[in-house]
Amino acid sequence: MALLKVSGLSKSFGGVTAIADLDFEVPEGHVYSVIGPNGAGKTTLFNMLSGIYTPDEGSIRFLGRDIVGRLPHKVAELGVSRTFQNLQMFFNMSVLDNVKVGCHLRTKSRLWNSALRLSSTRREEQQAELWAREALHFCGLDDYLQLDADALPYGVLKRLEIARALAAAPKLLLMDEPAAGLNDTETKAMRKLIRRISDTGITVLLVEHNMGLVMDVSDRILVIDYGSRLAEGSPREIQHNPKVIDAYLGGEVEYAV
Amino acid sequence: MFDQILQFVLTGVTVGATYALVALGFAIIYNASDVVNFSQGEFVMLGAMGSIAFSAGNGLPLWLAAICAVLLVICVGMALQRFAIAPARGASVVTTIIITIGASIFLRGVALLLWGKDIFGMPHFSGEEPIKIGEATLLPQNLWVMGGASVLVLGVHYFFNHTTNGKAVLACSCNRTAAQLVGINVSRMMLIAYGLSALLGSLAGILVAPITFTSYDAGVMLGLKGFSAAILGGFGNPMGAVAGGLLLGLIESLAAGLISSGYKDAIGFVILLLVLFFKPSGLFGKASAERV
Amino acid sequence: MSYLRGFYLLTITAAVLPLIFPDNYYVTVVGVTAALHAILAVSLNLLMGYAGQISLGHAGFFGIGAYASAILTTRYGWNPWPAILAGLGLTAVVAFTLARPILRLKGHYLAMATLGLGIIINIVLVQAGKFTGGPDGLGGIPSLSLFGWSVDSDLRWYIVIVSVLLVVVWLALNIINSRSGRALRALHGSEVAAEMMGINTTATKTGVFVLAALIASLAGSLFAYQQAFVSPDSFSFFFSIELVTMVVLGGMASTYGAIIGAIILTFLPELLVVFEDYEVMIFGAILMLMMIFLPQGLFVGLQHLLRRLTRDRRTAIDAAEAGESGRGAA
Repeated sequence: MALLKVSGLSKSFGGVTAIADLDFEVPEGHVYSVIGPNGAGKTTLFNMLSGIYTPDEGSIRFLGRDIVGRLPHKVAELGVSRTFQNLQMFFNMSVLDNVKVGCHLRTKSRLWNSALRLSSTRREEQQAELWAREALHFCGLDDYLQLDADALPYGVLKRLEIARALAAAPKLLLMDEPAAGLNDTETKAMRKLIRRISDTGITVLLVEHNMGLVMDVSDRILVIDYGSRLAEGSPREIQHNPKVIDAYLGGEVEYAV
Repeated sequence: MFDQILQFVLTGVTVGATYALVALGFAIIYNASDVVNFSQGEFVMLGAMGSIAFSAGNGLPLWLAAICAVLLVICVGMALQRFAIAPARGASVVTTIIITIGASIFLRGVALLLWGKDIFGMPHFSGEEPIKIGEATLLPQNLWVMGGASVLVLGVHYFFNHTTNGKAVLACSCNRTAAQLVGINVSRMMLIAYGLSALLGSLAGILVAPITFTSYDAGVMLGLKGFSAAILGGFGNPMGAVAGGLLLGLIESLAAGLISSGYKDAIGFVILLLVLFFKPSGLFGKASAERV
Repeated sequence: MSYLRGFYLLTITAAVLPLIFPDNYYVTVVGVTAALHAILAVSLNLLMGYAGQISLGHAGFFGIGAYASAILTTRYGWNPWPAILAGLGLTAVVAFTLARPILRLKGHYLAMATLGLGIIINIVLVQAGKFTGGPDGLGGIPSLSLFGWSVDSDLRWYIVIVSVLLVVVWLALNIINSRSGRALRALHGSEVAAEMMGINTTATKTGVFVLAALIASLAGSLFAYQQAFVSPDSFSFFFSIELVTMVVLGGMASTYGAIIGAIILTFLPELLVVFEDYEVMIFGAILMLMMIFLPQGLFVGLQHLLRRLTRDRRTAIDAAEAGESGRGAA
């Protein structure tokens, strides 16, 4: 079954087309990658899927429901979480608190309950702390718990963003260039992490430039160029698709998997 | 009725011209350094008070006293940049706001110390014989304010569009690092921007002082009005700031005449809020999009 | 919980001070003003320090509370307690109505809008003389009494206002260290990420704006009863700026910082009185110097300094170990 079904999606900014009549389906449990050259519209696509931009046309169905026009927090409520290409960490908070924010939708206590420290709030706090620690552990961040987020190196922040998104227990995780700016060892660790996330049953939609990583972790790949679909298929099919090789990869390509 | 409205418009344009100069000063500093300078109003006060002190106290002719005062205020503006703004580079919006508010309190304190709490008047530049336009009257000083403001605005426009230094200041406001890379002396450009802003403020003060009188705290409300005018016109847009200033002056004058003089300041701010609510980028500003 | 440790210390200090100095002017008179300012600074800090929404009009809500209580008790003979509630109700309506359009704005635009709001409220207080007494103010405001215990001495006012301060601090600390508090800090850190984590940022901003306004309104009512007199001067643009300065001076996003900022800014003029004519100038100079050299604020700045001095060795070791394990995982 398709968890996410996008049809006829279009978006332009002041006459410049970012996404044009795009269709694709993401089956549940898959790692589905979107690749394409810089400026192909990948981040615009993510921003529409997560409710930050409203598409000009087309529909986005998540779990059978049309989510076009929903605000980001309403999209998140349905079980969509994401990471950002340019880090969007809460640098004014500790590592643990960053991830606890991820638990926002799994907890309920309101301003007044919190202000009065009712017992329900205290129970929830303990639960949130547990979930946050789990997510941090899952991403291998146990050592950084009490540090302030602004004290962390870039590579760790990339994983922290994932931990925060996972703390929301999403059904669909949108990852915008998780390996950008990472060194080789960090990229390998990221590859493992994406596989382990997928193993837990979370569907992953991935935008990434590192071809080795994409070919390795993806079940299916969508190639877009100038906002529209160039090809779609398994990593093998994409690697051998002449259109892709010609238009995007520019002839001979070598994959260091 | 028509004559009455004409009178309000004439008064409004005069007041608006002052606001426009203050707003222009705000916009120049904001453009150059991302700082909202809350001591802009004190430049106005110091210009007027300084001229009066130099002419009455030291017996200089008014024009010479005015030049001395303007030079003094330019130094104050540059000192503000060098000793208060530059060291705090990279600080948050709130921090810089408080620094400039501290500077305004400091300058007010200095004025209080030198001249006390008295209200001072300044002689009109060319007599007080009213000029009649229909039933409405106009003082020669009103013409001085409007004319002076026009000349200054055109001068600023010329400076930014046709001189190397002016373009260099603009370059710094667009992209500081890039400006530095092409060899622009950024810290000198900052001094120029603050100096220019002080020049505009002090001249506004001198032009309008014969009509409104002045005192050590005369800059407070003017500063706030200038800030509103700059926002009204679209922050960071110098000519928008000028338009915002004229508009605010007109609105206030008409509101004072037709509705209530007590509420005229409130009406100005209500309109400002409405503009912010419905067109936050200001009347003449460009909307900015946030990138994620 | 560990975050309440400072709160206990504050409570003990507040309780012990009047026992040691029962008739000291600086404790029971200036101290009460400082406590009142601290209530305002703590509330403003929730909005500004934590949620990152600057407000240059906080004194307006302080004024609404004060004048609601003053007018209802003197002109309509209300009992002071329901008058406080009426003030809170009015504040809630005003704050809730304006929160949405105002908090859509950011940075300098938000500063200008809140500044305008504060000035408008102040002008109404001056101009609506029929109710407010105009620029001369309104006197003869009755005092509070609680089950026959009349709050009629400096020491009693100290007890009342410091108690309210402690309650407000306790509420603020609880909020900050909870789901709602994290939501506030999150929207300060990155609004788009906060939304993506399911936080309704509009509702959160509105909530904290109304809460801060309500606390300010309560402080205003107490102020009116304590002074028995109100005039528009106490709620001017300058006072809003002073409140912002308290928050920043102590250190943004620190409740204790806000309290310390309030105490410093209340006592500073008292100390500067000896400089007479130089007072205003020195005050301005101190503001500038503090912000230039300690932009994080006194409390937070010193805290960081202390932490760096005590933890220097430990963090170095932590970092080394972290690097080690990072390599191990790869």
